Amino acid sequence: MKSGLVIVFLCFLLLCFSYSANAETFPPLQKQGFLTGFKCLACHSAMKGEIRTEKGNLVDVNVDSERYSQSIHGGFACIACHKKFGMNPHKPTAMGDVPKDITVAASKISHKAKADPVALAACSECHGAIYKSWQNSIHGSNVISKKQTDGASCIDCHGSPHYITSKKTETSTINKKNVVKTCGECHEKEELAKKYNFGTHILERYYESFHGKKYILGHQNAPVCTDCHSYHNVKQWEDPMSPVAWDNRTETCGKCHKGTTKKFVTAITHKPIGKDNPIPYYFGKILTVLLVSVIVFIVGHVIVEVFSEIRDRIFRKKEEHHE
Amino acid sequence: MNNEIPKEYQRFNLIERIQHVILFTTFLLLAFTGWALKYPEVEHYSKWWIGIWGGPKTAGIIHRIAGITMLLDFIWHVLYLGYSLTTGRMKMRKYTTIIPLPKDVFDLIKNILYFVGLSKEKPQFGRFSYIHKFDYWAVFWGMGILGLSGLFLAFPVYASYLFPVWTVNWIWEVLFVMHSDEALLAIVFILFWHFYNEHLKRDKFPMSMTWITGRISIEQMKHEHPLEYKLEFEDKKEENK
Repeated sequence: MKSGLVIVFLCFLLLCFSYSANAETFPPLQKQGFLTGFKCLACHSAMKGEIRTEKGNLVDVNVDSERYSQSIHGGFACIACHKKFGMNPHKPTAMGDVPKDITVAASKISHKAKADPVALAACSECHGAIYKSWQNSIHGSNVISKKQTDGASCIDCHGSPHYITSKKTETSTINKKNVVKTCGECHEKEELAKKYNFGTHILERYYESFHGKKYILGHQNAPVCTDCHSYHNVKQWEDPMSPVAWDNRTETCGKCHKGTTKKFVTAITHKPIGKDNPIPYYFGKILTVLLVSVIVFIVGHVIVEVFSEIRDRIFRKKEEHHE
Repeated sequence: MNNEIPKEYQRFNLIERIQHVILFTTFLLLAFTGWALKYPEVEHYSKWWIGIWGGPKTAGIIHRIAGITMLLDFIWHVLYLGYSLTTGRMKMRKYTTIIPLPKDVFDLIKNILYFVGLSKEKPQFGRFSYIHKFDYWAVFWGMGILGLSGLFLAFPVYASYLFPVWTVNWIWEVLFVMHSDEALLAIVFILFWHFYNEHLKRDKFPMSMTWITGRISIEQMKHEHPLEYKLEFEDKKEENK
């Protein structure tokens, strides 16, 4: 009995220490009472369906408490991110309670957030440097400067903020197994390709390339979109800051292909083999003609020969033997 | 039967047989390990298939080793041919050469006419019929197209040093198309041409032992290579007399 108590006490101590380690890493969260109960989930894990916000967006009110608790942020209290909501959850407190930098960040992306801009901006509280580099990326500047709603923010790539898992887990949207599809969510869309003037069927082109073929087969070293284009600070490819801008390609390709020169870096373009690049196009056509004609010849030759063999067996048996 | 004529005829010597064994082993390895990369979008199947070959990484290594071995085998063969011809071990004669001649075109037409029943006469072949010659030179074609493009694709950075600047905007697509299309052609060719003519034919099924022993029976030689038979045995007899 006594030893049991000691163990409980030791566990408690351990918990305190680990708690304080967390608190040191994320001091603001502690102040706001993170890890303080899961009262919100009592209702929200049971609720089903969508509600319409003032802005007219449909928002799912359900939070799967089990998946949430298993997610990488599962230990956080809801109000760690949903900072507007105080103790009475559905009466937003004045913006004064929210740290100023988050209020500023939230105001810049309020058109983008479906439900709670403060919660979307709250990522910056812990992931400050990443958030900043996203703000300067083509995705971020599209949201912030151009005020578009279809530029990617954190949750467009990382998935629902309640269920984010480590990228090492297979269900993560940015796991190597899923990340190409995740980029494709937008980059495969024809209307977005037209609007922002990026190439259509990029994924198809990638899957046709040796990189993509190896990726489909599960090659460990096969590069995915983010390996060459980078991610949080992704830039339009002609931007001199982009890792795939002509001047930066030797370095980017050189990460895997040692000794890369400018002559090598033209290998990957994601362009279809079309008439705008006539040499491979017509060369391919000639090879296809050759392929088809050789196949027709050999298959035809074999078929007529088989036919004659059967005929000779049945009708010309005697002649064969006489020879 | 004349006593001077042996029962069997040495058709291929040991070196030629070894070259053939290396060629078909590496060919099979290359076809098997490369196949999954041709149609990876049939994902379930291609993943299962590449798994048999140790996964994409191992299969890639096997493919490269087999490819280089095949190229070395090819170089060995060409050097050996040159050596044999210059030392007189091998002679260029009309009925024993592998070089395509006008006769082969006529043989082909004659054969097709016989197959479809328009002629009752089969063409007479020398040491290599047009079927053998096609089989043989297809490998040369494949070595040039597949071997070269494969070598460049396996070592793309070194290959890029060799390419002139004006080619860099299209050379990679060309190499890719070359390797991918011609690999398919090579596989289909072997499956139909070589397998039918050397394995599935009634009198060869399941295969002739010539690739191991190098010998064929005199009866078979008379039947399949009558012109060479004449050259080797009947003409010689007359010359000697």
